[in-house]
Amino acid sequence: MALLSPFMDALRPPAFHRTWNKREPAKVVAKRAADLPGMTALPIRSLMPDLPQTIWSEDALLGPTNLDEVRRQAQVRAEALDWSKIEAGRMVNLIANPHGLQLCGEAYVTMLEVIAEHVKKTRGAKVRLRIAESMGHIENPDWVKIYRLEERFGDVEECPQMGAGTKVDTKLGDMYVTKKLFDAPYFIHTHVTEMREGYLHRMLDRLMKPFGMAYARLESRSAYHFGFGPRTGQIVSRCIFESDFIQQRYVGTMVLDTTSEGVVSVEADNDLKALDRRLAAGIMRNYAMAMKILGEIEDCVVVFDDHGCGVYCYAGGIAFDNMLCADVDFMDLDNLSLLAAERHDSAEPGLTMGKNNAIKAIVVNYMAGGVPQPFLWDNYPIHVVGDTVNRWMLNDPSNYHFDRAKAPVWPTLDEAVEAACRDGGTDNIIVFDRTPGAFRVSRKLGEHLMSRAPHVRDRVENEFLPKWLRQRGLAL
Amino acid sequence: MPKRVRMVAQIIVDKCTGCRLCEQVCPTVAIGMRPRRADEPGTGRNIAVLEPEACYNAQACVEICPDDAIEMVELDEPFDVGFELPQVDEDAVKTLCRKAGYGRNMQICVCTDTKAGDIATAIIAGAHSPEAVSLATGARTGCVELCMQPILHLLACAGHGDAPRNPKNGFQWYGESATLWQHVQPDGSLPEAIRNAFPEYPLDKEFGDMAKLKRR
Ligand code: SF4
Ligand code: SF4
Repeated sequence: MALLSPFMDALRPPAFHRTWNKREPAKVVAKRAADLPGMTALPIRSLMPDLPQTIWSEDALLGPTNLDEVRRQAQVRAEALDWSKIEAGRMVNLIANPHGLQLCGEAYVTMLEVIAEHVKKTRGAKVRLRIAESMGHIENPDWVKIYRLEERFGDVEECPQMGAGTKVDTKLGDMYVTKKLFDAPYFIHTHVTEMREGYLHRMLDRLMKPFGMAYARLESRSAYHFGFGPRTGQIVSRCIFESDFIQQRYVGTMVLDTTSEGVVSVEADNDLKALDRRLAAGIMRNYAMAMKILGEIEDCVVVFDDHGCGVYCYAGGIAFDNMLCADVDFMDLDNLSLLAAERHDSAEPGLTMGKNNAIKAIVVNYMAGGVPQPFLWDNYPIHVVGDTVNRWMLNDPSNYHFDRAKAPVWPTLDEAVEAACRDGGTDNIIVFDRTPGAFRVSRKLGEHLMSRAPHVRDRVENEFLPKWLRQRGLAL
Repeated sequence: MPKRVRMVAQIIVDKCTGCRLCEQVCPTVAIGMRPRRADEPGTGRNIAVLEPEACYNAQACVEICPDDAIEMVELDEPFDVGFELPQVDEDAVKTLCRKAGYGRNMQICVCTDTKAGDIATAIIAGAHSPEAVSLATGARTGCVELCMQPILHLLACAGHGDAPRNPKNGFQWYGESATLWQHVQPDGSLPEAIRNAFPEYPLDKEFGDMAKLKRR
């Protein structure tokens, strides 16, 4: 199999960082799943050869790792944006989110630096960095230290969504946002276009999503899930973004457009809706193969080996939530695809989701806590590697139910994976270890996915994409 | 529905500046303040104090503390909360859930697996504020990203939408956030202004399909 090349096998998962709550997974995890015997890296490009080339990748095997082109494009975009709203001497909140730091690291920080410098220089304004944080923060890597953000930006603050809030009058009524993100006369919105939580945003107002999630206070964040249907939660994001309070302060948006391999361009607009419409088709196209090929897995063991929290562990540039819901076309707006968190008793395919029967067992080598995942602990046999990781899991304030999984704790990763494969009656393994650009899989599974790629490509091109685009009034 | 509390917070006295932020976010109001004694190290007039049995391992305080002055410590003997709820009239529970638009078994707090019926039970048994609901059920002591609105909504439907905040200047919760459901008219449709505002969203289908689920 030519495309499962030893060259790509050299791709490594990113190292674990020290977490914000002082955990050191790098010292606890003895072996990475990439080092299990018989594993290979299946490049997303081999599934989709016309994937756009990156201008920045985390790994030199995937594209340039220097930041020159990101900086150049960010500068060009910054010069083209209209900043005239910003008055000299006044304060601008430059809003960042942890997903940008997690996925695009230095490229995201570079974009933030270019914006901050440009606005300071051309408007004579003050700029401070505000990072929107949710509860998962507790176990997040300490991004401020990792990227030396205080040194680089001066005034930096992480703003948890449980912090003080501000009531915002919207088209539907009162909603709440995190006060510290918007406590300046102006703010700038930044984002990355990656495909996480597609079953929530459904690629409707995708770039506005943080306004209903990361920037929202708990009341509105929770209303997104409980006060709207599974295709209409994004209306929270729209309502907050379009509110007078936000519009009075909003200046513009800059985003990194990404694929599984890294950043493909820097994009910006003062008109967020227009930017969203411009990028939406490309986002769906660039991630469709990675998403849909996961639906071709018939049986497998999933290994978490990442600093994400379960559904937010990444493989091939996409989050595990894509794998969990891989048997449902959640981009199809005709499909209700109610997510697990709101699951009623019904399990009619297409109506509710949250269990993928192809997953036969899960091994936790390492994952962060902070996000509840009973739909994993209750639905799949779980195996854990090592007492320390097991204790971290049990102590997680959001996963009280982890205990219910009665997960055997194995001294080594090899033993855990062997037991999971035995339990699950499969020798297929897929690892969520945040390796960009490729799925880390056992060789046989890699070959199976390669053999299914032409069929999936055909369905993506002729069935899924045309339908998704038509439903959203978009052209490719 | 319940939670096994395996860790509780511990205040690191010399780091605590008495800024009160932790007090304002703790979902079970487990933190208060006391004056710093002259012989105690550290700055600030006050020091946070914890009531350990009211600490349900929510870690909201750890998240908000600007001075790294709170640590979570493992308990030798974990304790359970919310496993046993008081007996109340089951019809009243169902009526309250129905009024709020939730199925009795709908999961509200995913972190602790607390159902709408459990929240309604606690409310009917006398928990008339979000913190009382948390103390009774354990709900809202995890991520809070999912459960906040439905708890406020169930309380409001039971006539307790005006519970005073505890502490007064705290920001564990503000008020109910607007929803789409609240705008549904008696005939099941949405006002035209809302339909026109969001033409790209499949509003009609959403209601039809959600109704199908609710009938189950
Ligand atoms: S916020 Fe959570 S961890 Fe902190 S004192 Fe309150 S219940 Fe305990
Ligand atoms: S938030 Fe931290 S510094 Fe402030 S009172 Fe609480 S423990 Fe002390």
